[in-house]
Amino acid sequence: MHVIDMGHDVYKANDKVAEKNKKKLDKYQVFSVNVMGAIGSGKTTLIEEAIRQLKDKYKIAVIAGDVVAEMDSSRFRKLDVPTIPINTGKECHLDAKLVEKALDEIDLSNTDLLIIENVGNLICPVDFKLGEHLRVVIVSVTEGDDIILKHPMIFKTSDLAVINKVDIAHAVDVDAEKMRDDILSLKPNVPVILTSKHDWESLETWISFIELGVKEAQNR
Amino acid sequence: MHELSIACEIFEQVMSTAKEHGATEVKHVTLQMGRLSHTNPEQLSFCFNVLADESIAKDADLIVEMIPPSLECECGYKGAVDEKKIRENCEFESELLAYAAVMECPVCGKPAQLTGGRELIIKSIEIETENQD
Repeated sequence: MHVIDMGHDVYKANDKVAEKNKKKLDKYQVFSVNVMGAIGSGKTTLIEEAIRQLKDKYKIAVIAGDVVAEMDSSRFRKLDVPTIPINTGKECHLDAKLVEKALDEIDLSNTDLLIIENVGNLICPVDFKLGEHLRVVIVSVTEGDDIILKHPMIFKTSDLAVINKVDIAHAVDVDAEKMRDDILSLKPNVPVILTSKHDWESLETWISFIELGVKEAQNR
Repeated sequence: MHELSIACEIFEQVMSTAKEHGATEVKHVTLQMGRLSHTNPEQLSFCFNVLADESIAKDADLIVEMIPPSLECECGYKGAVDEKKIRENCEFESELLAYAAVMECPVCGKPAQLTGGRELIIKSIEIETENQD
């Protein structure tokens, strides 16, 4: 019997590809956002709003991850931005290799902002970096106010947290402020934004956060 | 399903290493898994065995060693999380949450950077070869 040392780290293999993706994006001064969150948290809607407001100022491309079908990507295409759908099949997250492949189909020299909509899931995307500059987690009040403490790692590893659909918090008997406190107890100082698609001011905060990143990338 | 894609990666890596070393059978595969990685050892083992069904690894045992989280702090501390503090944290029900919540430096108390505990490493394999030494 022989023992063979391997020392192969499965996640690090993904991280290496993610680093490569990030370098490629940096070369073209593209700011990339990885949008994570559960099914129905409002990822697609918040991305659509950002695209609507920013597409005249910046060149935007989208990678839309879905298990099957192309419903989300067709919504982005309607806004007239280049969109690459990724169907993961049975997989519950995007990984760096899938994004690497999608990047080949995007004209990066003609892109300022790349938005990556991850598959709807609060668990699996945590372990897989994609090469993004900003990791965003979107959670809605409809998921219940214990959702954050049930999924601590996605909040620990995100650079921005969005609590969405706050206009209906009362109807679903949820305290959005408690959700904010829970996020901050897991990751003090992480920016937390409360949003509703019916509240323009809250959407402006979300959009300006992304715009800030694009401007920084262009000045690098 | 998360575990199947990871099991595929493990299976491919194990088989290529086994082949390089002229293996006739893979007896054991030892993995190191961070306690904060979102991977379930039992599901992973099940998926691996399904994939290995018609290969030289069909009877292989998947041994999983769990790795506790480790931290690095701006005060200079490098090391494990404070396990005692986790046990005190009884209001948190799950172990994962307890770990995530107490990722603060056991020396100065500031929130610390997580440096380990999320890895998934194929540490080693034990194989049989035709020409035993």
